[in-house]
Amino acid sequence: MNGQVFAALVDVVQIQNIFASIFGVIFGLFIGSTPGLTISLGMVLLLPLTFKLPAVTAICLLLGLYASGMTGGSISAILLNIPGTPSASATAIDGYEMAKKGRAGQALGIAVVSSFFGGIFGLTCLVLVAPIIAKVALKFGAPELFALVLLGLTLICSFGQRSVIKGLISGVFGLIVMTVGLDPMMGTPRFTFGVVDLQAGISFLPAMIGLFAIPQILVGIAGNVPIIAEYKSKITGVLPKIKDIAKLTKTMIVGSLVGTGIGAIPGAGGPIAVFLSYDYARKISKNSSKFGKGEPEGVAAPESANNAVAGGALIPMLTLGIPGDPITAILLGALMIQGLIPGPLLFQQTPQFVYSVFWAFLVANIMNLCITLSTIKLWVRVLKVPERILLPIIATFCVVGTYALKNTFFDTGIMFCFGLVGYFMKKYGFPIVPMLLAIILGPNLEEHLRMSLIISQGDPTIFITHPISLIFIIISIFSFISPFITPAMKTKLKNICKIGIGN
Amino acid sequence: MKKINIIISTVLIIFSGFYAFLTTNLPTRNLPNTLGITFMPWVLVICLLGLSILLLFNTIFRGTKEEYNYHISLKEGSGILSLTAIVFLYVKAMNVFGYLLITPIFVAILMLICGSRKWKEIVIISIVGSFGVYFFFQKIFQVLLPDGAIF
Repeated sequence: MNGQVFAALVDVVQIQNIFASIFGVIFGLFIGSTPGLTISLGMVLLLPLTFKLPAVTAICLLLGLYASGMTGGSISAILLNIPGTPSASATAIDGYEMAKKGRAGQALGIAVVSSFFGGIFGLTCLVLVAPIIAKVALKFGAPELFALVLLGLTLICSFGQRSVIKGLISGVFGLIVMTVGLDPMMGTPRFTFGVVDLQAGISFLPAMIGLFAIPQILVGIAGNVPIIAEYKSKITGVLPKIKDIAKLTKTMIVGSLVGTGIGAIPGAGGPIAVFLSYDYARKISKNSSKFGKGEPEGVAAPESANNAVAGGALIPMLTLGIPGDPITAILLGALMIQGLIPGPLLFQQTPQFVYSVFWAFLVANIMNLCITLSTIKLWVRVLKVPERILLPIIATFCVVGTYALKNTFFDTGIMFCFGLVGYFMKKYGFPIVPMLLAIILGPNLEEHLRMSLIISQGDPTIFITHPISLIFIIISIFSFISPFITPAMKTKLKNICKIGIGN
Repeated sequence: MKKINIIISTVLIIFSGFYAFLTTNLPTRNLPNTLGITFMPWVLVICLLGLSILLLFNTIFRGTKEEYNYHISLKEGSGILSLTAIVFLYVKAMNVFGYLLITPIFVAILMLICGSRKWKEIVIISIVGSFGVYFFFQKIFQVLLPDGAIF
């Protein structure tokens, strides 16, 4: 094992991998600090570039982007009160107040160091927990794997969505998309309408690019992009003092714990983690009354949380093949393009690659810290790049990226169709992440379901006679019905309380 | 939002019916102790139909607290149509003239649509941007881009 850990380190510190990590960090800072561009969008734009790269180089590139994108989001949040990414929303509360008081440099410095702390904390949890989960998951058979994929899908569809029904419809739609192509068990064509290109099914890459990038371009073209103000004050004192950081350690630990925990729950994601960590930090702080008025702890908590989310979200993705958020869903896709199937077998068959992921994440966090602290003033200028310049370049990237997949424009058409679907889904309140996840996990779901029923000779009780599968199915059912029963239960409890008080 | 939810759920119910119709037309090929290729599509038909009916009933009887601007403005509609047309023409033209010749024109048109009015900016960005993407894909990552049929 030690030999593989060392070999993985040697692999990651190869010059091309270090360059990939640096490029990923710089691109992530650009994406993160530009309001309106999300990390998911950055990921899908880089994805086509990874086809020809070795797996480790590709993962260095994407993890660099993941780590720095979260940090980059705080730059516009602090300076302009516009979160660069949804995960930087809570940072804006105190960060912007600090900037208004002329302490923008201090706020940015705290954000970067807290991000590093959160990233390393998340990574430590990943390294400690992932192998244990993978070991347990190795014992899973087809019924357990089916129930697990079902659980991941229902959690994503129901957790954190405004409308559970719309989340589930989005997921079912993704599964319908995945029924196009050759049937996974018998190889008979389904819904191909005689189109040869459809026989291999609809590739998730054009779908991903379309769902994330095209709606963004359409919003820009429709003229709904807000005009961004310019930050004119001078930024000084970015490098934080050790004394100041020491004071924030407790807050950063709380933020990182919340971030890792929330990140590991599929569907919860960064925005929930940052507001929860902000709330917890406020509750335990001696300066709780100063929160919202420019308190450094109010920056440290959400920033450590949003980077810790990355480590947490990688746990279910690497060990079970269930992504925790849209970004890890794209990472999962990137690994599948490389011929690697995340899940317990990844740990058994390619342990060296798993260690490479750990090392690459560490390198990404170190690079993020060094590059961001030394170039922060440059990223302030990026805020001035208008969308009228960015959007046409993004559109070109999308067309060329989907063409590069198979050197055919068929996928470009698929990408554009998904883009239009994604645009209208967003407009009418349908979340796109469940659809994306269903597209990625759909084939596994069908394969494990049919395999289980073959094993049981068509007896569906196989899913409830296997205890682990039963637990997953119960949680799935609960996650599906809980949004419906929770408000009803709350009302009932309120009524009981009222009656109690009345008596 | 109530009205649009009712329309969406009705469209989804019709789509479920269409998907069910397509499923009935799938070839049947049964092997012993296996489920046919129509098994998963039927499961999905039931799920989609059930959820669409649930959305419809939920909207009618419980109302909705969702608030979205569901109207498509003239600018939005023309933006969607123009982008669709431009991407279609871009792809067709790239097959004939190749990436390097056609992409600067594509970028320039998109910049104009996005509100860019400075000619110098349009010319510089469209050329530098197109060559930048070309350099990344073709030279660094060795992804071949179309040369065009006439070259």
